Formats: sequence, C-alpha cells, structure tokens
Amino acid sequence: MQQGWIIAAILGLVMVTPATAEMARLSDGDLSDVAGQGGIYLSGDVSINENGGPIQNAYFGTCDEGSKRCGARLAFQLKANGGWMVLDDIRGKFSFQGLTLRVRNIDSGFGGDGAVFNRDVLEVGLPNTVRYDDVQFTLANSSTARPSDPGFQQTDVFSIEMQGDVVLEGNLLVFPTGNP
Amino acid sequence: MKRFSVRWFSQQFVLALCVVPFAVSAEMQGLSDAQLADVQGQGLGIVLDDFKFAHGTDVDNGRIFRIGGIKSSAGEDVEIVVNQLYISGSGSNYGQNLSPVNLGRLTNPFSIDLEDGDNIGIPGKAVLSVNAPSKVSAADGFSCLDAGAGAGSGTCSSRPSGANRLGERPDVGLQLNVKVGDNQSSNLNVHAKSAVIDGSHIRLWGDDDRQQLVGQFKLNFYTPELSINACEQDGSDCGSRIKMTNFALELALGNKLQPMYLDVDGSGNFVAEIETIRRPAQGAIAQDGTRQNSNKAEWDFYEDYYTNPDYRSNLRIGNFSVGDRDFGSARVEGMLIQHLKIDTHDLAP
Repeated sequence: MQQGWIIAAILGLVMVTPATAEMARLSDGDLSDVAGQGGIYLSGDVSINENGGPIQNAYFGTCDEGSKRCGARLAFQLKANGGWMVLDDIRGKFSFQGLTLRVRNIDSGFGGDGAVFNRDVLEVGLPNTVRYDDVQFTLANSSTARPSDPGFQQTDVFSIEMQGDVVLEGNLLVFPTGNP
Repeated sequence: MKRFSVRWFSQQFVLALCVVPFAVSAEMQGLSDAQLADVQGQGLGIVLDDFKFAHGTDVDNGRIFRIGGIKSSAGEDVEIVVNQLYISGSGSNYGQNLSPVNLGRLTNPFSIDLEDGDNIGIPGKAVLSVNAPSKVSAADGFSCLDAGAGAGSGTCSSRPSGANRLGERPDVGLQLNVKVGDNQSSNLNVHAKSAVIDGSHIRLWGDDDRQQLVGQFKLNFYTPELSINACEQDGSDCGSRIKMTNFALELALGNKLQPMYLDVDGSGNFVAEIETIRRPAQGAIAQDGTRQNSNKAEWDFYEDYYTNPDYRSNLRIGNFSVGDRDFGSARVEGMLIQHLKIDTHDLAP
C-alpha cells in the first residue's frame, strides 16, 4: 500500500512538473498588453566601385588608370533595337549614422491631418547628415549597351560630382494609399 | 431522468456533423478568377515629415557639388558649381535660415502606383505613375499662389505654413556658378518661395506598335515669388533682382492622345517626340463642321482634343520686375503642343 502511495507521488511529481513548463494561453486582455518595441537603427557606409570594378578591359580599369573608367555602368534601352540611355561611371562612398526604421502610429499632428489619417506608417528616419565621398556619375546616351560591343559610340550629357556633408533631415513616411 | 438511447446518440451525431462543416467554413477558400479581378493593389504613398535638405560647395570645408562634362561650342570645358541647393520650410530668407517642412499630406501624399490605363484614358495598358499630391475641389483646397491662403480659397491640396502647422510648401533655391574654360562667371541665384507642385505627374508605359517607352508628363509649379539675381563670387555685391510674383507654370508634355515617345538613336543621341494628331478620315468631318452632319465619334474626338484644358500648357506671371521697375503681368495660356521633336546633338569636335 505504501509503495502504491510512493508511485502515485512520483507520478504526481512527474506529471505536475512538465505541466508547469508547458506554454500557457494568454487571454485577449493579456495579449493586448504585449507591445513590440523599437525599430532598427542603422549606421554604415556604402561604397560603389571605390577603387574600380571587376572588369578589366580597354574601357574599364582601376581608378588609378586615368584613361579608363572605373565606375559602374547601367544601360537602359527605351526602344526595341534603339540606342541606350546610360548612367556611367557610378562610384563613390556614402556614409551615414542613425538611419532609423520603425512603424509609427499617426493619430495627431500634421495640422489636423493626423487625426483623420489615424493609421500606421513605415517611418524611415533620415540620418540628418550623409557624408558623400567622391560620389559621381555621368548621364550619357550610347549606341550599344556595353562599351566593348561593336559600333560603340557614346555622348556624355553631363556628369555630377558630390563631396562632403549633405543635410538630410526629417522622416520618410511610407504607407499604402487608398482604403485597403 | 432522461435516458440516453441509441437514437439519442445518433441525433447528437448528426447535429455534431452539422456543426463541423461550420468550423471548416472558417478556413481559407480559393478565389475565382472573377473575384480576383476585383482585387486591386493599392499604390504607395510617400510623405516627408519635418524634412530639410541642403547641399552645396564649400571648398574649405571639403564640400563639393559640381556638374561637369559639358563643353562649350568652342570646345572649352564648362563646369557648373552648385554653391547651394536647398529645400526648406517657408520664411527661409532666400536660403539663409533653413527650417523643416512637410512634403505631401497624409491625406493626399506623393504616390507611386501601377495604374489601370483604362481609368486614365490609356486603354489596355498598365501605366507606371508617379504623382505629386492631386488637386482638390475649390471648396476644400487652398490657393496655389497665396502663401497666407486659408481653406476653400483654391484647388491646391498642399497648405501654406500656419500657426499650428509646418505646411507642405517648401522654399527651394539654387545658387550656381558657371565656369567656361578659365572664365568664371558671377554667382547666379534662383529662389522660389512657398512652392507647390500639386497636380504634377509622370506616367510611363510601353507602346506595342513602336516597341518603345512612352510617357505623359504634367508639371505644375506655383510660387508667390520666383527670383533670379547675380552676385559677386564672394556674395558681397549683388545686381538687380529679377522678380516674378505669382508665378504659375502648368506644363503638359504629351497627353493620352499624343503621348511623348522617348528614345536614344543609333548614334547615341537622345530623341523625344510628340507625333502630330491623326487626320480625320475623308468625309468624317462635314464641310460645315457641325457635329450633326459629321461622324459623331470623330467629331467628339477632335472636339476633346481642341478644347480639353488638360492637354494645354499655361504660364502666368502676376508681375515681372527688375530692381524697382515693374513690367506688369504676362500670360501665355492654352498652348497645345501639336508636334514636337527634340533631338540632342554632340557639339564636341
């Protein structure tokens, strides 16, 4: 009889202990108190072909070779069998600190628009300053997609060069338009 | 006391079977093609809140913003140095005091959308559309030009800055310095106060017949004051300011009947073209020009083409002044582009 009690007690312990480790349901009330926190804070730098790209040929090379282009090249064709619009010689480095990403509920402010809007938006907090390091690109029109293609001819329209700190303050708010 | 018979259990079982299908009905169901066709993806709204942008050239502090690669007709290098480019809240005093501003309203934002061409007069096409805030009815909107406008004064949705809001109308400005060869010009300044671009859009799609990118551009630009002046390199001595007050530009490049074709030709030159409107078929429009005696659909087509204000460009300047001399107002209204071909050429020898 005593053995029976011991077995029962052990069984009881065994059964009770795992039960406490199991997941418990949360009531709707408890769930409504759970809030996701924060967002993402990003710092970093992005460099594009700072020293040159992987292709080495008569046109592309490293940035030390003055006669060659070392930036990236993007070509778009606007018409079948037509010429190409080109963003050429894209290179440089952007560094920033404190780009934030979070979901924000807007229900006030914006000169009265917030209360009417009353929804969540994705907020990209701009980093106040972005440092440009030798950022440049050239807009051009070209007869072929690649400079190595036969019959290559290109007209550079203009090139842009930026360096130093750029003031970029505020928040970019992104949300679906209309009534989903 | 009730007795549980076999019959009672079978009744309960049938009842339970009735309940189970209800539970199944809460699961996901397939949508038919017809139902799917009614589902519309929404566009993406974009608002810039508390926004401020500034960049420029300050060689001593390592800031450079240059536009180069241009040659003069004599073959000299042309270099445009952007001394200052800013987007700021209103009251910036020509870019001296930058403050934050909102761009786009939550209730009427900038948007990027793939629109159904059937709804915007481009049948059978999906159209990529980038839109500034749309115009609204005059009962709800704000005057596009008046920087102190109240509600109900015009058709622009973006509001001027006010007591309890930043507003959605930025001051924008640009200071340039053009250097041709070794000759450096004075600084050229362009400033626009409380600028609004409501109602502007860019629509892009593909043309099947020409297998080409096609576009429709509408640029609206309103400002109570657009000014241009030139200053010495160090900014000390400035010439007379050319001021255009109540400046309104409504430029329509390409419309749904005459879209703009974009291309780069085989020799690497950019080509933008607006084709002439098609001619009516022989006899479709009656000699007397009345709708009654003409092919109705053809008559309506040309009536729309020649009267629809959406296809036309306007430029209005309230007052044009240089220094203390006023030249009065100027208006160029109802310009319809009937044919346009822009073809760039390389001047470099």
